[in-house]
Amino acid sequence: MTAGQIFIRGLWKENPIFRLVLGMCPTLAVTTSVFNGLGMGLASTFVLICSNAIIALLRGFIPKKVRIPAFIVVIATFVTIVDLVMHGFFYDLHRNLGLFIPLIVVNCLILGRAEAFASRNGIGVSLLDGISMGLGFTLSLMLLGGVREILGNGSLLGYSLFGPDFPPLLVMVLPPGAFIALGFLMAGINKLEERRAIRAGEEFAPPREMDCGNCVLCNLNDGEKPPCSAA
Amino acid sequence: MKTMLNLSLRLALISAVAALALAQVADFTAGPIAAATRAASLRAIRQVLPAYDNEPDQDVVRVALAEGDTLECFRGRKDGAVSGCAYKAVTQLGYSGEIVVMLGMDAAGQVSGVRLLQHAETPGLGAKYAEAALLDDYYKGHGLADTDWRVAKDGGDLDAVTGATVTGRALADAIQRGLEQYQAHRDEILGAAAAGGQP
Repeated sequence: MTAGQIFIRGLWKENPIFRLVLGMCPTLAVTTSVFNGLGMGLASTFVLICSNAIIALLRGFIPKKVRIPAFIVVIATFVTIVDLVMHGFFYDLHRNLGLFIPLIVVNCLILGRAEAFASRNGIGVSLLDGISMGLGFTLSLMLLGGVREILGNGSLLGYSLFGPDFPPLLVMVLPPGAFIALGFLMAGINKLEERRAIRAGEEFAPPREMDCGNCVLCNLNDGEKPPCSAA
Repeated sequence: MKTMLNLSLRLALISAVAALALAQVADFTAGPIAAATRAASLRAIRQVLPAYDNEPDQDVVRVALAEGDTLECFRGRKDGAVSGCAYKAVTQLGYSGEIVVMLGMDAAGQVSGVRLLQHAETPGLGAKYAEAALLDDYYKGHGLADTDWRVAKDGGDLDAVTGATVTGRALADAIQRGLEQYQAHRDEILGAAAAGGQP
């Protein structure tokens, strides 16, 4: 796979949110506005790039049997760094996102990329993979945040779009609105992808289902018993 | 046994390096975090006080409350006379966790301003109470005597954001109790000499 293909992959073909369906907790929780989506996306991207780089560097050092705890230690370290730095230098953003920053640790996207990509590849391509996946994640969060902000608050980037008389669809900024917006967006993107696949004569592959058996950790484990499955 | 030791050692080494790095970062950010928190607090004090021409964070009174807590009041002065004071009020009734507000009071005991310092309310709903204009509109000018400190939905005098009644109730609770504290300790707050210095 060329560098260009790796880079473009996270943006569309393996978009973390709409194609891989990873990192749903922050996706659903913070996307009430474009700005929050951007902040969360950039914080996650930073963690993803750093953890990918470190894990690619240490891939010969980390024993296979304790790789998951080792990955979590690396990821949690960078999340704490983001949390502290944001608290000190971006106080207002930290106030908006504060609750969700520690949750980046359990964002499946980051652990998923560590396991599926960075632990099997060199540092250069792992960095590229982190940037690409992070960018795809950030843009998707902003798209979702934009849809919800417009419908649920009548504004975009904080600027009122329809004037004070617009009655906002309050449900869109509440948790159910996250599921509704995500569902419609994903349906639309599936439709586009299906049409593209048919035109190109390929088989259309829908996004993976969101159950444990289909998570990246289980599927890309080279036949070894997956760490998260009970069976 | 040997593999076990090897695994533990490597994991311990990774953790140790991580801990060392975090200690460095925590050390480095401790100053900026304290400064940012203080700046936010100062900004709130400036915004909630009535007209003043002194340095409110240099004119501090600490009042001992009945529950063993201390009420820290930042006084604003206009031409030497105390024009009002600002202090923190806390409520546990928020939709998700504690809400801390900076409450400003003029000399007559009426709310001169409210700003949210800390909250975890729902973004887009309860979090709308963080908007300065909204807080001024809802609470400025209200006192203890002339206001029924309940939201309109409960039969009181206060407006509330649609869909965020719980947060409205919580803020009413925080402000009302803040006002009562002021009433109970008014002479101490207005009369005492400044304890000065760091807030």
